[in-house]
Amino acid sequence: MAQSQDNTQEPVAGRAPLIVGGYDFRSLTEAVAVPVERKTPIGWWFFFLPSLAMLGLFGVSIGWLFWEGTGIWGLNNPVNWGFAIVNFVFWVGIGHAGTLISAILFLFRQKWRTSINRAAEAMTIFAVMCALVFPGIHVGRVWVAYWMFPLPNQMDMWPNFRSPLIWDVFAVSIYGTVSLMFWYVGLIPDLATIRDRAKTRIRKIAYGIFALGWRGSHRNWLHYERAYLMLAGLATPLVLSVHSVVSMDFATAQLPGWHTTIFPPYFVAGAIFSGFAMVMTLMLICRVLFKMEDIITMRHLENMAKIMLLTGCMVGYAYGIEMFIAWYSGNPYEQFAFANRALGPYAWAYWIMVSCNVITPQLFWFKKMRNHIGWLFISSILINIGMWFERFVIVASSLHRDFLPASWDYYQATFWDFASLIGSFGLFFTMFCLFARFLPLVATAEVKTVLPEADPHQGEELVRVVPAGAGAEPAAQPAPAGGGGA
Amino acid sequence: MGLMTLDVPEASAGYSHYGVLARFETAKALYRACEAVRDAGYSKWDALTPFPVHGLEKAMGLKPSRLPFLVLATGLTGAGLGFALQSWVHIQAYPLIISGKPLFTWPAFVPVTFELGVLGAALGAVLGMFAFNKLPTYHHPLFRSETFSRVTDDGLFIAIEAWDPKYDDRATAEFLSGLGAVEVEHVPIEDPIDTDDGEGDA
Amino acid sequence: MAHEPRIVRLDRLVIRPGSSWARLPLVAGAAGILGTVLSIVLAMGSKESAKQFYHSWLVAVVFFLCIGLGCLFFVLIHHATKAGWGVVVRRLAENLACTVPVLAVLFVPVVALGMYDLFHWTHADAVAHDRLLQVKAPWLNETGFWIRTTIYFLVWSGLALWFRTASRRQDESGDEALSRRMARFSPAAVALFAVTLTFAGFDWLMSLEPHWYSTMFGVYFFAGTVVSAFAALTVFTLVFERTGHFRGVVTGEHFHDLGKLLFAFTVFWAYIAFSQFFLIWYANIPEETNWFLSRLHGTADNPAAWRPATMLLAIGHFAVPFFFLMPRTIKRNRALLLIGAVWMLAMHLWDVFWLVMPNLHREMTFSLLDATSLLGVGGIFLAAAGWLLGRGSLVPARDPRLAESLAFENI
Repeated sequence: MAQSQDNTQEPVAGRAPLIVGGYDFRSLTEAVAVPVERKTPIGWWFFFLPSLAMLGLFGVSIGWLFWEGTGIWGLNNPVNWGFAIVNFVFWVGIGHAGTLISAILFLFRQKWRTSINRAAEAMTIFAVMCALVFPGIHVGRVWVAYWMFPLPNQMDMWPNFRSPLIWDVFAVSIYGTVSLMFWYVGLIPDLATIRDRAKTRIRKIAYGIFALGWRGSHRNWLHYERAYLMLAGLATPLVLSVHSVVSMDFATAQLPGWHTTIFPPYFVAGAIFSGFAMVMTLMLICRVLFKMEDIITMRHLENMAKIMLLTGCMVGYAYGIEMFIAWYSGNPYEQFAFANRALGPYAWAYWIMVSCNVITPQLFWFKKMRNHIGWLFISSILINIGMWFERFVIVASSLHRDFLPASWDYYQATFWDFASLIGSFGLFFTMFCLFARFLPLVATAEVKTVLPEADPHQGEELVRVVPAGAGAEPAAQPAPAGGGGA
Repeated sequence: MGLMTLDVPEASAGYSHYGVLARFETAKALYRACEAVRDAGYSKWDALTPFPVHGLEKAMGLKPSRLPFLVLATGLTGAGLGFALQSWVHIQAYPLIISGKPLFTWPAFVPVTFELGVLGAALGAVLGMFAFNKLPTYHHPLFRSETFSRVTDDGLFIAIEAWDPKYDDRATAEFLSGLGAVEVEHVPIEDPIDTDDGEGDA
Repeated sequence: MAHEPRIVRLDRLVIRPGSSWARLPLVAGAAGILGTVLSIVLAMGSKESAKQFYHSWLVAVVFFLCIGLGCLFFVLIHHATKAGWGVVVRRLAENLACTVPVLAVLFVPVVALGMYDLFHWTHADAVAHDRLLQVKAPWLNETGFWIRTTIYFLVWSGLALWFRTASRRQDESGDEALSRRMARFSPAAVALFAVTLTFAGFDWLMSLEPHWYSTMFGVYFFAGTVVSAFAALTVFTLVFERTGHFRGVVTGEHFHDLGKLLFAFTVFWAYIAFSQFFLIWYANIPEETNWFLSRLHGTADNPAAWRPATMLLAIGHFAVPFFFLMPRTIKRNRALLLIGAVWMLAMHLWDVFWLVMPNLHREMTFSLLDATSLLGVGGIFLAAAGWLLGRGSLVPARDPRLAESLAFENI
């Protein structure tokens, strides 16, 4: 591998390179395709086997749940929603970074996204899978879970479309579907690359089937790019709507601490925040494991840290505004709910949430901390802990103090609650390990477009600026055509 | 134009060659060559690249994709059907007063209507793109070419098809060499003599 | 084919004496003074018309303030993201942002005089009998209100002037360090901007109905602000191109981008507006629904008096522009984009009207004072903008990314 070089300093004139190490088209193809083709690295097993074990635990905990019922969880009467909903919201949130990177950053022409979007999109799909498990197993009578869908049946019964929980069914399953399509469309050219490089017939056929006979025709690229742009345009409001709908599970209720109008954008910001933290964790591991430090560069990590700072501040803003309005409302129930959050029985969870989500990212104001691999790794994990606790605080602390003090109680998670949480990480990491092993981790065709030699007007002067007072003498000031985004 | 992609089976009848395939070294050379091929009046030809070369459709003289109209239509269909389903369920099929709200509560129908609209539009975009691009197309004469496997790696190609009215075996090949192609070859249509790894179609 | 470079002559990028732009400060200033004088004369009529004047003036000032603040946000975010494409329109935004101190001068005296008529929480007798107002008194009191208002205006004016000055200094020196300094300060400035804008929304608009509260309100105010700023930037850029100042500088690519941002924030506004309405509608808690009821209902004689206003907002601020601004052909067509941008400015005005006026009228009512206030504030706003635009180059002439912006092409 070529030596890493610093591309985190954005020059004022021109743009810093997005990837380093002096790649050209061919060596880039090699760098991405070789991990798919060579023998499995030992390090991969090191991650895969524990994940598989955790996935086994997930199976056992779900099996036991089906056998015994939701009584194995720590739910009690005011707190009817426990870990299952917390985990659901947590995983849906994780998924949001994938779409943010692939769609929103695409629309904002943030070309640095190209090195990480593939992995983030894959992560989205696996996170949505994890998320979908929880409401599924939480319904109690799992064998009639299909009632959630509007299927004609002999009882002439239909779902209640006024229920936020039904919106979730639609929002999350459609989100999963659209993310899958988006991911797959992006994969087609890279699958064709693996097909054309394949040495064995099985590989050629296996990758060839999914490459759909792609041959890079520009007449095809034209529709392809248009479709991709429109998918990005569709995925952007979709991703906003999905976590907004999830937030409405809470916010349409009348419960203090749940019913507050800022929930939709606040949940979206939190989702992006946690999702970016997860992408950061995964990318820090993958770039070392698959020797991609020059493709997933410090600049990518630093930009992700900046987005984590931004979304962390948004989340902090929402916490602050919630507190302020709870006081400003003059409503004693609102005031109690928030005072109780910060000072009541769940204060420990609240302060974990605040310190992880609001204070941790503040260190990213400093460039030194944004470029510190160790701190990036630690903070990305702290942030995900904090974001899990955010959902826990919302669910448990709002429910445990009912309007009727006689029913006040304290929610304590059981072994099986933790087993399903850990197990869901098993599902997530197992899927991700398989993805990282068998599919190109980086969107090669897209990264190629950000190499300088991909620009058909490279070095041409498109605009000539004549300074004031220069008379008729045109001074040359070559304009970089295209060029990288910030 | 969506459906202008190569129509190999019918168009190739009676031709021994698919056409000429030329490889260019840089995106800039390809761009210039595409402008020249367009200006020379060829119509049955294509540029083939490992990544979308920015603005190449202008050099090739292609019209913008008409996919957006399809996507708008499928999106509106999805949203319309979603809204109709919910209204029908709550007014006609299963009328129930819930939380004191009227039967036709349009604001509550917005989330699902929106989601189904997006689903319709996304399906329209992906399936429409497949249809416009004729994907999957597992068999194509270009896959017979050895060098063409570089199209998904670093090869930038122009292919001019034999059934183009201006096509001439020799003249077209020389024309492409003159534009700075580093490799020019004629691509056959029939399978080459079967060898064990001659399956370029997977 | 040879590609001839596009020639951009920076000495053409100033307002030339004798052009209609050079006369703008004078013409608009005269109109502004006329409008202000007319408003004051009309306000003297009766107690009722004074009340009307304060409300109409608040609508007008907040409307133009939104344009200035949204432009300030554009400048900050442009530096924070080290964006390249928009350098050609950044100076325009810098200048419009600097109208904020002028609008502060228009805001303070009128609102100070009209405190009692605008804000129910200033009525000592009402507070004495209202537990909620007593609880809120530590926030909703005149001293606090004016301290905060002063802070808001100082912060915004300071930021606007600082960024404009630094950018203009670069016109002289071409110093790249200035770009770096602006980029370094902008993220913190965005944070400061977010907090002040939120609380300004709470203080000036939300507290008009002091019992009502919504955590979303700051975001709602922000969304409308940004919509109006992109609409205004689009209109100004189009007119500058038409008058020949920006010919060859801005291209269809820039208009396409401005149009996309206008479209995106229109949709964002709709998302925020709908979420706020929807959550309050769904939970149906009386102290919250009250605010929407006064925007959907009216009096016993005319029970749906305000409903058309709300419908117009939903359709005009979302449904119509959503379909109108969606196709790329419209964003690239100057005339149609101008229609879209002017329409969005009108709709934003309607949004502010809709936020303020139900406080005064239980039935939707228009007054001559609405028009004269708009003429007064708008005239002075345009005069200030014209004066600012006349001082120096219309683009950041020696910004290191100017060339990138000029050559910019969409994906």
